Amino acid sequence: MQIKNSAVSMIIDASDQKELEEIKLQFLGRSGKLTLTLKEITKIPAEKRAIVGQLANEVKRVIEESIESKLSSLISYFSSQRKQNIDVTAPGIKPGIGHLHPMTQVLHDVIDIFKGIGFQVADGPEIETDYYNFTALNMPPNAPSRDTQATLYLDTKNSNAQPGQILLRTQTSNMQVRTMEKIKPPVRVIVPGKVYRVDDVDASHGFEFWQLEGFCIDKNVRLTDLFGTIDYVLKKVYGEKTKIKFATTNFGFVEPGVDTYMECTVCKGKGCNFCKQSGWSEIMPAGMVHPNVLKAAGYDSQKVSGFAFCIGLSRLVTLRYQMDDLRLLTNPDLRILEQF
Amino acid sequence: MIVPLSWLKEYVDITLTPKELGEKLTEVGLGCEKIIKTKDDVIFELEITPNRPDCLSIIGVAREIAAIENKKIKFPQLPNILKTQKPLPLIVKTDSKINPRFTGIIISGIKVGESPKWLKEKLEKMNQRPINNIVDITNYVMLELGNPIHAFDYDKIIGNIMTVSQTKGGEKFESVDGIAYRLPKDAVVISDKEKIIDLCGIKGGKNSGTYKETKTIFIRVPVEIPNLIRKSSQALGLRSDASSIFERGVNAGGTIDALKRTTDLVLELAGGKIASNPYDLKEINFKPWKLKLRKDRLNQILGINIPLKKTIDILESLNLSPVHLPGEQRRHLDDARKGGRIECTIPTYRNDLKIEEDLIEEVARIYGYNNFPKTMPKGVIPTVQVPYFKDYALDEKVKNILKASEFSEIYTYSLIGDKDLTENNIDPEKILRVDNPVSRDFEYLRPTLKINLLKAFIQNKSNFEKINLFELGKVYSGKSLDEAKEIYYLSGITNNKNFFEVKGLLEKIFEDLGIKENSTKYIEILNDGIFFEINYSELIKDFNPNKTFKPLPKYPPIVEDLSIITEGDVKTSDLISEIKNQSPLVVDVSLLDQFENSRTFHIVYQDKNKNLTGEEVAKIREKILKSLQSKFHVKLKE
Repeated sequence: MQIKNSAVSMIIDASDQKELEEIKLQFLGRSGKLTLTLKEITKIPAEKRAIVGQLANEVKRVIEESIESKLSSLISYFSSQRKQNIDVTAPGIKPGIGHLHPMTQVLHDVIDIFKGIGFQVADGPEIETDYYNFTALNMPPNAPSRDTQATLYLDTKNSNAQPGQILLRTQTSNMQVRTMEKIKPPVRVIVPGKVYRVDDVDASHGFEFWQLEGFCIDKNVRLTDLFGTIDYVLKKVYGEKTKIKFATTNFGFVEPGVDTYMECTVCKGKGCNFCKQSGWSEIMPAGMVHPNVLKAAGYDSQKVSGFAFCIGLSRLVTLRYQMDDLRLLTNPDLRILEQF
Repeated sequence: MIVPLSWLKEYVDITLTPKELGEKLTEVGLGCEKIIKTKDDVIFELEITPNRPDCLSIIGVAREIAAIENKKIKFPQLPNILKTQKPLPLIVKTDSKINPRFTGIIISGIKVGESPKWLKEKLEKMNQRPINNIVDITNYVMLELGNPIHAFDYDKIIGNIMTVSQTKGGEKFESVDGIAYRLPKDAVVISDKEKIIDLCGIKGGKNSGTYKETKTIFIRVPVEIPNLIRKSSQALGLRSDASSIFERGVNAGGTIDALKRTTDLVLELAGGKIASNPYDLKEINFKPWKLKLRKDRLNQILGINIPLKKTIDILESLNLSPVHLPGEQRRHLDDARKGGRIECTIPTYRNDLKIEEDLIEEVARIYGYNNFPKTMPKGVIPTVQVPYFKDYALDEKVKNILKASEFSEIYTYSLIGDKDLTENNIDPEKILRVDNPVSRDFEYLRPTLKINLLKAFIQNKSNFEKINLFELGKVYSGKSLDEAKEIYYLSGITNNKNFFEVKGLLEKIFEDLGIKENSTKYIEILNDGIFFEINYSELIKDFNPNKTFKPLPKYPPIVEDLSIITEGDVKTSDLISEIKNQSPLVVDVSLLDQFENSRTFHIVYQDKNKNLTGEEVAKIREKILKSLQSKFHVKLKE
């Protein structure tokens, strides 16, 4: 018993691992106190040996356990000591990786969302004919609706094209008839890409920007499907609480025509320069595909119907990150890119 | 279009607040951009879409509000124009091909002067400058009813003749506001015996306008051909309120009412008397037309069943005189006919309503887009690969490798300037060009991504020491449009990686795409960095996603390093392939180290069928050395 008490008290007082090792040797080692005690067990009368033996083993167990627990507490003590020697509040060292452009990040998110509802992704020409960009979309030459899309025309010198015939597409809608004339319904397609307009450059306009066209043609596609699809996609991108409203508008290639407004994320609906103080951002013209467009694609408008929409992708990106200027997207400043 | 609330209220009772009205107008298609509260009024600024020239008038907007509020329009009965016994002479020669309708009248004995206060105030609210009572009346009636009107000084029409014709081009014309123009070819004009007195549908002539001394006027309310007005207006860079209306399509059935209204006001405010019978030259009668709407078709396109009564009410509120013709009840008829059809009579001011879908929109927009439920398309998901398919997942894969290698992505303009080209020794003559660029800095379509990457690189130098940038975007090739091609390039620039790091990065991309390709040829060493450019469209044609698992070797490899000394120009790639060629048991060779003329190769020997012995390896090593010595004159390093 004496041995046990003195051992335990020494163990508790031990201040490091080395000391503990010495204590262990002192008691449990080959010439340790307990070992020696046990060796003398033969001197004890046989009838008491069992009890003494049991006692000795008990003492051995207690000493071992005490050493174990002291050891682990010492280890954790020392490791915490070690932690105190470095300033863990200093910033971490980040791995050297680059940044994907916010446009790419949003585009891939949007593509994923549309893939989830059965849309495939297509890509089409930016250098386009007047036919696919306008005429096939029920916007014949001299249609006043063309006025809203001032067009960049390509120089036709040394070519067989007539001046005014080849242009830089003003809308990704150029892919509607191009795609539809090659396949039969059902069709569900999105087309992201660059478009061009003659426009003054300001915070919310540019001469070169991104759109994402989408269309869905099938038997019995309804206006409510258009509303539902837009609502689903915008809420996936911006969150369930996103405020969306629809309004009537006119584009040659849709009837009925729909415009989509989303509460401005820059000012949270209060009104700012980006949303022209309206609190809403026009983001997505859409509508039911005009019978003349279906006809141009070779479809029978009495048998199939469809909707089309065109997301202002550049605007979608800026709204997502509360960027107040479209020009930030084409500015290659790493101080901007590193934020994404 | 500017619309004062006070003026609207003359024609329709409004119960909505200005804010509610603005929101509702936007919903039905008259985008309300601003609501301005003034001392005594509320001014709405509406964006009118090109299909609704009727809403470029107060009455047109009031009609929309009447439909929203389900109220009737209040408009005073217009008095009929009295016949005159002694008409003044005026011969009108016109051609309905260039001037479909020519309505007019002569009023004599008028007194030109200042307009009354109410009229001046109305015009001022519309941002119009009052001029004199006659001009103000014509402007007022145009704003009110949407039919442009022009008043000529009758006494200045030489020879009492008005001839409508088209210009040959180059004719001189001075507009009523004193600006001289050279007219383009095919502009529609009115001439008297001597000169052009009117540029139809756009501006009146200075030589025949209404001034203080004017005693007799001819009032003309025309219908013009939209395309002709549009072309002349564009060619001259001259737009007026009138031309905006004409080029979108004026209310062809409204000229008589506009003439009545104008005449009535002239007689009231300027005195005088009617001095001719009304002129109304036209070849066709501009009458309302019929348009049918199948009720079942309406339900099918909209996705909801708007009750028949509600549908009729909406069409009625739009003044489309709906008449329901019940569907036939016989059982075998197709669905589209069961709900019957609604026959509408379209007033001439709604020339945007031409097909059934237009009526569907009318019902939907007044019902309110925001009152519709939302559904998802029900049909089957297409399984055939769409034409023009693009695999964005592949782009993402490539971009992620670049990102992991410290590169940041940029998006730049496709349009560049001629200076950008010449500075990079590219002949602008051979580059696709825009005819009407927004500025000279954005005139050409880029033939490479290098120009913008270099600019981006320089731009970032002031803030960053280490710069790694890339872009995956289109370049445009072809000397002329006949050969024009759009090709995706993948290009990058870095001052933070050496040649071998860039080479390794490209090798990694190729490897991940399953493409066997030499990356060296894509890399260019610049003075202060490394640039690479790959024809990405071409490259990914060889994309091979297939990977085959190779079982792990059962027997351990023997690995050794071989140091050699070379003389002269010996390519590492040649040495590696020579080593590999010596035995199929050499499974991998890599360059471990290189210093001056010595190179150390790391060689892995392995037999997949058994344990290799030292003797076997020694034989191969011997063979390697021999062949390297004989082919490249290398020596084993001591």
